[in-house]
Amino acid sequence: MASVTPGPVAVTRRSRRRRRAPGTASLLEALLWLAPALVLILGVVVYPAITLVATSFNKYSIIGLRLGPAGFTNYVNFLTSPDLLQVVWNTVVWVALVVILTILISLALAQFLSKEFWGRRVVRWAVIVPWASALVISSQLFRLMFDYYHGIINQALITVGIIHRPIDWLGDSHYTMPSMIAVGVFVSIPFTAYLFVAGLNAIPTDVYEAARIDGSSAWQTYRQITLPLLRPAILIGVVLNMIYVFNSFPINWILNGSNPGFGNDTLITYMYKLAFKSAQHDVGESAAAGIFNVFIILIAVGIYLRFVNWREAEKK
Amino acid sequence: MKKKYLRWGAVAAAATVTSLMLASCGASAPSSSGKGSVKSIKVVIAEYSKDQTPKFWNAFKAKYEKQTGIKLNLQIIDWNDLDQQSSTMIQSGDVPDILNENAYASYAADGLLYNSDQVLPAATKADIIPAFVKSGTYKGKFYGMPDLSSARALFYNTDLFSKAGITAAPTTWDDFVADAKKVTALGGGDVGYAQPLGPEEAQAEFAIWLFNNGGDFKADGKWTLNSAANVKTLEFMKSLSVTDKVTQNNPGHTNRTDGAFSLFEQGKAGMVVGFSPLQGALDTQYKSVKYAIAPMPSGDGAAAQTYGVTDYLMSFKKTGNEAAVKAFYKLYYSPSEINTWIKAEGFLPVTQSGLKEFASNTSLKVYLDTLPNIHLTPTDDPEWDKIALTIKQNIGLAVAPNGDPKKFLDDLQAQAEAGK
Repeated sequence: MASVTPGPVAVTRRSRRRRRAPGTASLLEALLWLAPALVLILGVVVYPAITLVATSFNKYSIIGLRLGPAGFTNYVNFLTSPDLLQVVWNTVVWVALVVILTILISLALAQFLSKEFWGRRVVRWAVIVPWASALVISSQLFRLMFDYYHGIINQALITVGIIHRPIDWLGDSHYTMPSMIAVGVFVSIPFTAYLFVAGLNAIPTDVYEAARIDGSSAWQTYRQITLPLLRPAILIGVVLNMIYVFNSFPINWILNGSNPGFGNDTLITYMYKLAFKSAQHDVGESAAAGIFNVFIILIAVGIYLRFVNWREAEKK
Repeated sequence: MKKKYLRWGAVAAAATVTSLMLASCGASAPSSSGKGSVKSIKVVIAEYSKDQTPKFWNAFKAKYEKQTGIKLNLQIIDWNDLDQQSSTMIQSGDVPDILNENAYASYAADGLLYNSDQVLPAATKADIIPAFVKSGTYKGKFYGMPDLSSARALFYNTDLFSKAGITAAPTTWDDFVADAKKVTALGGGDVGYAQPLGPEEAQAEFAIWLFNNGGDFKADGKWTLNSAANVKTLEFMKSLSVTDKVTQNNPGHTNRTDGAFSLFEQGKAGMVVGFSPLQGALDTQYKSVKYAIAPMPSGDGAAAQTYGVTDYLMSFKKTGNEAAVKAFYKLYYSPSEINTWIKAEGFLPVTQSGLKEFASNTSLKVYLDTLPNIHLTPTDDPEWDKIALTIKQNIGLAVAPNGDPKKFLDDLQAQAEAGK
């Protein structure tokens, strides 16, 4: 694009004279500095990725012993498994609802948190707590709270008189997904809300002053100034949350832990069950599922970015 | 244009990295196989309890190392992770020398294991209770050495029983239902029978009921998963929650440990199928619950059957580890070792000498008497490993109000036969 800076050109010209200008390094030097990061990336990302791809093209016995090459059998088995459609649908519902609800609630919460009020510091700390605690622990706590017999949620609702008999939040298929979504939103809000607080703080106050002088109403100001200027933050919030929520494992695993079948699984927990819990008990098929998942999330993010017209947002 | 693609690339990379990291959790174990080395062996043990398991095995390790001069690399793994970890070890070539698991036949079928002729002293083999030798034998060779056993029986809350006016434990299924109804009728959230059919351990719950109705998983070497007795049993199990309404809410979605057992431990359940570790918990942590143990009620009028479970200590063929493995078994099966551990964990013996040693313990008498005739699941068939997984995963759906027990068992039979 047009935004090519003259910087690099000038540097190369000068470096011809002095071998090297201050601020540039030889390839060897650069590699030396980058080595720790590169080793980490190779070991933690590239090597497992290669292993994953290799695993997906091999046949394994139930105990994990490699029996030989499998071609595309694992992919065919995965893509033709009768539960896949339900699992994909669950994943779509899970990701879409958690992300949408998180964004809406976080927008409201960010407005609130960016106002001056007594005790704001305490409230800000309180909002961050769900993010700071480990997901497994939060999920386990929610499992106890949702419990049919001893859960505090049922007790509270019965005491207040909203319901008359306990609800099986995690076992009744009408409530399982909504309960998991509620927890998903709860743990996603802190990050998103803080992203929006930062976004709000970055909006210059004179724009608001100008709007006030022009007699704009509060809602008009929000619609026509705050939201457009917050757009980059919203964009990032949606993309990161999509990836994060899609890949979330502990919530579904723990809250759905005592339910039979695959009726409430997302692609991620389904992938795990394929490898270790289902009758297939097949790491090869599970690896194929893993590759499929990577493509799904890439496609989903791609569609979203196209939909919101990424380049337009970049210009602003 | 360039900038756009760069940004887009960064997002794509971020997405790929997070997804791949998650996807490849199971595939990224370091591989280091100590081929040819007999200087050390790797022993992977299941964690039966947080305190006793490490205590016993660390002491065992010290004794073994002192006796043989071979280093014992001990790894204790939680039951929930054991399957995944052992699978990863095999997959990455980092095979242990000794593995403690609840199944062995699939490993034997893949040709990875030593059999008893190679690594077990003859006197030790002769000491093991024949029922367990049988369940550890695959294609005529004894591969699955039992580490300990447990047997199930009917636990009932005597306080709730006397409140409901019941004087003795039920002996038939009709009595059972009648008693469960009486306890449920007490109200106050009490349930007659706590029935765990969620994915944790549902195959055990199914097994104990069908064994007591003349059913079985296999007969004369053939799968009998959808036999008339089995279908009748599962329909009965479904009726307990759907028509009789004597169970806790939603049994198909209730696990054993944090569901059925916890109801019984809180004095909320009239009956539950339990085993000696539950007894241990009741005697130490939940002393307010007054209970008694009885044989299972019978569905077909035959004598009560005891359903038993044993886990295995299998050993993997690796160059030069034969002597070290043999020494391991020799030490483990010496009465002072194996019985100490079994006692500490609250399980049951697997050897004749153990039976004698435990005989003085009156609270275990219910189980010990039945141990030699114990009824086990077909763990000697590798296909069972997959059948058990299907039962665990799907039986909860079959006992739901809209579930179809017959269809579930027909599908199970088809799965087993296709695996042949």
